[in-house]
Amino acid sequence: MSEHAVAGTAERTGSPHKRAWHLAERPLVWLAPLTLLLLITYVYPAIDVIRYSFTDATLLNPEYAYTTDSYRALIRSPDLPGILWVTFVFVVASVVLQLVLGLLVAMVLNRGVKRRLPGVSVVRIIILSAWIVPGVAAGIVWQLMFNEASYGFLNAILRGVGVSPVAWLSDPDLALWSAVIANVWRGTAFSMLLLYAGLVVIPSSLYEAASVDGATALKQFWYITLPQLRPILLINTVLISIFTLNTFDLILPLTGGGPGRATEVLALYTYNTVFRNFDLSNGAVLAVILLLISIVFTLIYVRLLPREL
Amino acid sequence: MKKKFLSAFLAGTILTGLAAGAAAQQLVTTDRVGSPDAPNVLTMRANPTQSPNSPSAEQKATFEKVWQSFAEAHPDWQVQFEFFGQDIGSEHARLLEQARAGRAPDCVTVDSFQLALFIKNGVLQPLDDFFSQEEIDDLFPFIRDGITGSDGHIYAWWWGTDLRVLYRNTEIVADTPETWEELQNAALEAAESGVEGVLFNGGRWEGTTFDWLANFWAQGGSLVDEDGKPIFGEGENREKMLRAMDYFKGLVDSGAAPRRVATIKDYNDFNAAAIAGSAAMFFGGHWQHFQLQEAMPEEAFAKWDVSELPGPTAGERATGTGGWTVAAFTDDPAKVEMCANLMREVYMGPANEVIGDLPTRESLFAELPKFQDPYFDKLKDYLVNGRARPGVPIYPEISNQIQITMGEVLSGTKEPEAALDGAWNRVMEAYTKM
Repeated sequence: MSEHAVAGTAERTGSPHKRAWHLAERPLVWLAPLTLLLLITYVYPAIDVIRYSFTDATLLNPEYAYTTDSYRALIRSPDLPGILWVTFVFVVASVVLQLVLGLLVAMVLNRGVKRRLPGVSVVRIIILSAWIVPGVAAGIVWQLMFNEASYGFLNAILRGVGVSPVAWLSDPDLALWSAVIANVWRGTAFSMLLLYAGLVVIPSSLYEAASVDGATALKQFWYITLPQLRPILLINTVLISIFTLNTFDLILPLTGGGPGRATEVLALYTYNTVFRNFDLSNGAVLAVILLLISIVFTLIYVRLLPREL
Repeated sequence: MKKKFLSAFLAGTILTGLAAGAAAQQLVTTDRVGSPDAPNVLTMRANPTQSPNSPSAEQKATFEKVWQSFAEAHPDWQVQFEFFGQDIGSEHARLLEQARAGRAPDCVTVDSFQLALFIKNGVLQPLDDFFSQEEIDDLFPFIRDGITGSDGHIYAWWWGTDLRVLYRNTEIVADTPETWEELQNAALEAAESGVEGVLFNGGRWEGTTFDWLANFWAQGGSLVDEDGKPIFGEGENREKMLRAMDYFKGLVDSGAAPRRVATIKDYNDFNAAAIAGSAAMFFGGHWQHFQLQEAMPEEAFAKWDVSELPGPTAGERATGTGGWTVAAFTDDPAKVEMCANLMREVYMGPANEVIGDLPTRESLFAELPKFQDPYFDKLKDYLVNGRARPGVPIYPEISNQIQITMGEVLSGTKEPEAALDGAWNRVMEAYTKM
């Protein structure tokens, strides 16, 4: 049977070949269900949040009016600068430490695999298990670790080696760093995973050539590993910045945002505004700010993705 | 071989069928009470500890009998359960949203301090027809006030309450501290012997505000006026607030309490310290008596005693009283009635005995066998000074700001005056918006 004959049959019977040809010509048809799904589950809620941010709505009163008062109130809020500063420190410190530690662990694992060392898979599973643990559970675990009672885990170790106990959570200056440690513990595995994937695809010939030229390990890392990992590092930075910015499930059980407001990040402040203060419109304004920051990160991510990979 | 396989298959099928049949007949499961074939369905959202899904095996087994009796008494009804998560504040905020959209469950266990939100929003059904005036009059006054709307109708049944007390290891602190000063001195003396003098909630959670408010109330302080407007930051109330804050700050600054109290946001921390023998005293909930009894060896538990929270003077006392209510959200009269039946037959009395929450009616306190015990006799006396949190919509924000203030004061970030002024301004901003 000739090709024309097949095409003719397909036209008459409406066979899969013909449908596939038509769908390829009309992407809107096959994109429509996905677009609809995204509109309903992502775009509509986002628009609704933006709409609420221009109202005076509270959870206590079903009636509301449209106004920009919530934006003005937020700008005047004496709490906002402190909240933004805590968020900034939390995000930057978490991202830097997750990147550095993630890279370190990925390189050790990569070296272990190349040398066929036993137990590498076990190490990988152990590290990944921290990532799998839900944020709330991680917060509870670290609350026990940082407990400042005589039976608190970390302080018991410090006492055992003759070091004075540390006020991990009760010292407002230290509490934020304790939260960073807990977040880094949870997030490093994700960084490690991405960076390890980047490391294994670097051609070994590059390192062999560098060795022949007499390059030291440090120079190889600086001139081969880092440039080769650049796209992964950038994407990793953007992704973990977004994750960290939206983190509050870990802080809620760990410190609840205290002492005072010492560990109250923007996401937790938003949560408290809506669910403790019942202030839907101010909460929506805060959510819009979070959304805008996340969109900036996402745009960076989108811009990096096609060019670098 | 084939025969064996066939026999095993048949036996398996029969057993599975029997098991399925038995499950169908079971009247109490973790998420249903009543026959699954019963034509009428009442949906109920509950705190797991107050449901057939109690995490305590002992309570679950006892509670099952209560639910079984209820199911047998109402064969045409089945109660289908859903459960609150741990964050009660946000769970209630979501419930309010659902109620306003007409999607709330028919019957719900509502935390007593959140009840006012629901009454004020008009999403609850009046229950006056289902309880006699005698029963209503029998309620402790603060309980009656808490369930009564501004129109005089009752909108929930507050069936169980609790209160805060001072626990002390009598081997370390022999005499009962009656005043703030006595407590601080006793705690300091204990701290010198190497244990933590006194522990209390000071972290970011509701328990911190609630436990500490007793010191404000003991002086006659009020958070809000009769119209629900905040007044705690003005005039005499402001002075009383500052005195109560200075009391806690003094405990920490003097070393009578460790600085880590600023991180405590769980009553279980006190149990752990008591069991470890590392604390002399703590401000806790009355229910911890039973937890300690269960967790400690008999001779260790015998060292612990409970007394009323100390006041600024021995004559000025108060203790925070909380607890849970049941309210009807449905507008179907038959379901409202069944929800009221549930309040009466499951919660008013039987649930008190199972869970240990104190009865809210004086006569029940005198009648129920569980509460005929010297420990409960003491608690009944303390209830005279019981104070409930104000049932007003602004309370959650007042509580939030007091938690922040306590953190700032206890960690030394701010002086009490500055911290209180900050809290007052923010509460008033929120109040204006309401």
